[in-house]
Amino acid sequence: MSKAQKLWLLFTTAFTSSATANSGYAILSVMKNLFVYKHKWFTEEEMNDYIGLAQSAPGAMAVNGAVVVGYQIAGIIGAVVGILGIIIPPIIIMALVTIFYQYIVTNVYVRMFMEGMQAGVCALLLDVIIGLFTSVTKEKTIYPYILVIAGFIFVKFTDFSVFYLALGCIVAGIIKTLIMNRKAGA
Amino acid sequence: MLLLEIAFVFMKIGALAFGGAYASIAVVEKQVVEISQWMSYAEFSDLIAIDEITPGPIIINAATFVGMRMAGLPGAIAATLGAITPPVIITALLILLYRKYKEIKIVGNILFALKCMALSMVISTFVSMTLSTVFGGQAIAVNNVNILLTAMAIASFFILKKYKLNPVYVMLACGAINLAFSLLVR
Repeated sequence: MSKAQKLWLLFTTAFTSSATANSGYAILSVMKNLFVYKHKWFTEEEMNDYIGLAQSAPGAMAVNGAVVVGYQIAGIIGAVVGILGIIIPPIIIMALVTIFYQYIVTNVYVRMFMEGMQAGVCALLLDVIIGLFTSVTKEKTIYPYILVIAGFIFVKFTDFSVFYLALGCIVAGIIKTLIMNRKAGA
Repeated sequence: MLLLEIAFVFMKIGALAFGGAYASIAVVEKQVVEISQWMSYAEFSDLIAIDEITPGPIIINAATFVGMRMAGLPGAIAATLGAITPPVIITALLILLYRKYKEIKIVGNILFALKCMALSMVISTFVSMTLSTVFGGQAIAVNNVNILLTAMAIASFFILKKYKLNPVYVMLACGAINLAFSLLVR
């Protein structure tokens, strides 16, 4: 397969999966099936490592995943093609939905419907909180609790930018590594 | 210039959106609702509901929704490009680091602290959203409690937790009940 054909396949795969799937996992597993199992362009181990990296970085997993997969396939051009494939469908769909939303949102019935959906959104957020909480408190130490409580106070009761909180987290991660290394050395 | 301002705000969001899709929504809330005041909590809740129904990553959908309403299609594109730039750069850096060092303890520790930050932000968003839902966007007072929405939020949470239902159906049901109830009462 020529490079142009590979790029076209990458673009159409990214485009169609982003136009239909709501989760980054689903989009990346479509790519995995095609590029790893069918075309064997790279190994499953590589793909899993790269998905791990895509998840660790901030932002949308689907976009970051497309960057790593695209880069593996065709370097920088591959990464750009992957990104375009992922972001074009949601921009088009969401732009149309937003126009429609602005047109109907003043309607009293639509308003009542959307107001009701707020209750579901609150419930969903609480469910997300429990999921994240279980994942960060796996290791039974007081450390994650301190970070979460301090973070909450920072976000809720101060006007400082979240940027400083992120810097604080980076410092906390470095200090933890230093302490772990010292313990391992002693 | 408005387009640059939109792009810059979403660059900050992209750079801070650690911890998955719903954690990113907390960053959007902090920047767009609280700091820039480009939308209200009710509109923000509409955005989450719309995102659940439409495909694509939440951060792209949020960028398109906000950008579109601020400055039309150019605004949507500026917001989306802003939102993906920092994550794409960070992903590329992680790939380079990974290729060089394979596994690095310090990165893992930093990412763990950032995940705790994400959790504290979602808790903060949840508190603000729930207060806005329970008191209908009005002052916190017993008289302002919206009993129907409160009851639906609690019921939705238990349904999500117990039956692992797709959140879309739960939200649509909440919307339908609220609409039916408002028609009956009138």
